[in-house]
Amino acid sequence: MIEFDPNISSLPLTTKVGAPQVFKPPVGNPEFSQVAKAVGNYVTKVDDLQQASDASVQDLLTGKTNDITAVISAAAKADMSFKLLVGVRNKIIEAYKQTMNMPL
Amino acid sequence: MSVAKVFGPVDIAVSGMRAHAKHMEVISSNVANARTTDAGQGQPYRRLEALFQAEGKKIGGVTVHDVVPDNSALPQMYDPGNPKADATGYVTMPNVHLPVEMMNLNIASRAYQANAAILRRYQRMVEASLELLR
Repeated sequence: MIEFDPNISSLPLTTKVGAPQVFKPPVGNPEFSQVAKAVGNYVTKVDDLQQASDASVQDLLTGKTNDITAVISAAAKADMSFKLLVGVRNKIIEAYKQTMNMPL
Repeated sequence: MSVAKVFGPVDIAVSGMRAHAKHMEVISSNVANARTTDAGQGQPYRRLEALFQAEGKKIGGVTVHDVVPDNSALPQMYDPGNPKADATGYVTMPNVHLPVEMMNLNIASRAYQANAAILRRYQRMVEASLELLR
């Protein structure tokens, strides 16, 4: 999840400390439509995880399985992915509101 | 960053919980059969031991890959009145030692708790990262 390299020497040496940074747009600048598509794909993934979680709870309650750890795992995954989705959604809505409130 | 990668620690912690729950099952079998003189083929119960194995060579979870009998010597107990006693009056008892089993039970339950703590802490870590989105 958090990929952090404590090794300072591995940082690119081309950036001088204090030197003004030239903003370079990343190659293949993503269009907003692509972002929206990615969010849409992520929604289906989150839905899959939620359904898997529901199914595992159902299996446990109907006695199909007695593996409670599978339920814990599915519920944790569904919870975490849903929280990420809500965070992204809030950010998008905030950006939309800011755009709409821009005085023209 | 693939979203599935985020769940690595979840899967690992859950595999640890599953493995230690299985270990606890083995221990409960040992405790329940601590005085079982006939476990099937007329032989006394032999203590079982869970063997843990890592899932894969790199970072990964754990599984109980086998449950094997403990082949240490079976103790003899003098009890001439017992129908299972041999000609000299000794009964062969299971090689289960309750204090050892209690220690193993403590270890298993603490290990289970530790894995659950990792799961909870990781979830809180991810939530803390998501707080930064706001």
